[in-house]
Amino acid sequence: MGMDYTKFVGAVLENDEAAIARHVKIITAVLIKFLRVRLGVSQQDAEDCAQNTLLIAIEKIRGDKLDNPDVIIHYLFTTAKHEYFKSLSKDKETNYEELPDSHFKPADQLSLLLNKERISILKRCISALKPDFKKYIEYWFANAAYETSVVAEHFEISVSNAWTKKHRVINLLKDCYEKKIQL
Amino acid sequence: MENSRELEIRQQIDAYVKGQLSEDEIQDLWNEFAKNPHLLEVLEIESGLKSILEEENKPKKASINVLPSWTWHAAAAAVILIVALVQLFKVDTPTELNQFLVANIEPAQIETADALRADGVNLTEADSLLNLGFEALISGDEDRALELFETVINNHEEEPYGSKAYLNKGIILYNEGDYQEASTAFQESADRAENNRMISEKAYWYLGNALINIGELEEAREAVFEAYKIDGVFRTPAFRLLQKLNYDLGKYDYDDFDTQQLN
Repeated sequence: MGMDYTKFVGAVLENDEAAIARHVKIITAVLIKFLRVRLGVSQQDAEDCAQNTLLIAIEKIRGDKLDNPDVIIHYLFTTAKHEYFKSLSKDKETNYEELPDSHFKPADQLSLLLNKERISILKRCISALKPDFKKYIEYWFANAAYETSVVAEHFEISVSNAWTKKHRVINLLKDCYEKKIQL
Repeated sequence: MENSRELEIRQQIDAYVKGQLSEDEIQDLWNEFAKNPHLLEVLEIESGLKSILEEENKPKKASINVLPSWTWHAAAAAVILIVALVQLFKVDTPTELNQFLVANIEPAQIETADALRADGVNLTEADSLLNLGFEALISGDEDRALELFETVINNHEEEPYGSKAYLNKGIILYNEGDYQEASTAFQESADRAENNRMISEKAYWYLGNALINIGELEEAREAVFEAYKIDGVFRTPAFRLLQKLNYDLGKYDYDDFDTQQLN
C-alpha cells in the first residue's frame, strides 16, 4: 500500500523502465494533488509541474545526489513548488494592472480534490449509509470545533470508540466510493 | 488491521479537514501522504463529506416577494439622485505615495538556477546555493536564505550569479523593512545585470521602491524610470509611480515616457 522510495531509487539506478513508470505514476498523483490543494494550481499546470519535478528528481537520483527517502520526499515537494513559482515568474501575462500587494498564503483548497462527478458519487454513498451512521457523521462534522469527547458524550460512547466509529463510517464510504468510481 | 500510526495519521487528516493544523503539521501530513498515497483517498472522502454535509445543512434561502415594477423605477431614480449629490459635494482626497509602493515582495520574484531541467545541463555550485536559498526562504527560514545568498556573493561573483544573489538578498531585506541595505543590494544587482533584462528590470523596480521608503525620491525616480524603460512586466506600475513621483517632486513638465502605450 505504501510507496517505497528505496525501491524507486533502485529502479532509477538500474534503469528498470517498468518499475520507474509504476512509481512515477504514484508520485505524480500525489504531487498533482499537493499543488492543487496547497497552492491552488490548475489541473493542467499541476500536471506540468509534477512531470517536470519527476524528471528533475530522476536526474538527481541518477547523479547519486538523492537516496534517502525523507530527503527525496522533501525534494519532490520543494521542487514542485519551485517549478510552479518559476512558471509564475516567467508568465509575462501576469496582471500588473493593480500594484503588487503584500503576499499572503491562502488557505488550502481541499475542495479541489473532488470534481462535481466525484462529489455526486460520494453523495450517493452518503445516502446509502445506515441511518445511525449518517446521523453520527453529520453530528461529527456539524460540530467540527468540538473535542472528540463532546461527540463521545453525545452518543454515550468512549472517546476511543468515537474515533473507531468515525473511521468505520469513512471506510464504508471509501469502499462504496471506490466501487462506484470503477464502474 | 490498521496500525496505530495510521490511526494517528487519520486523526491528523480529520484535523486538517477541520482547519485545525498548523503549516508545519500540514506539511508533515503531506509527507505521510507521499509515503502512503492511499491515505490521500481518506482525505478526499473526508473533505468531500464535510463540504456535502455543510451544503445540506445550510439554511434554505428565504422566499422572495416580487415587488411591483414602479418600485424599481423609484429605486433607480433615488440612486441617480444620490450619485449626483455625491458628485456635487465630493472633495478630492490626495493619494499617498505609499499607495503606489510594493508592500511585500513575493517569493516568486526570487531568482534561482536557470537550467533546472533534465536536459543534461549540470547545475553549478552557485545554482544549487541559489536553489537552496529559495527553499530556505519558502520554508520560512529567512536567515538561512540570506546566509546562502551571501555565500554566492562571496564565492561566485560572476554573472548571472552575482546579480541574482544580490537581488534575492535585497528582496529579503526589503521584506524585513531594512530598506537602506535592500537598496544597496538592489543597486549592486542592477549594476551587474546590465545584460540581463529580466533581472535588471526587477532590480531597478525594487530599488526605486526601497529608495522611496527611505525618502530618496530623486534617486528613486531615476531607478523607477530605468525599470519603466526596460518595458517588461513592471512597466505599468512603474509608469504610475513615476507619475506620482513627478507630481510630488513638482516636475509637471516631465514627459520622457510615452503615456499612450499604457492606455
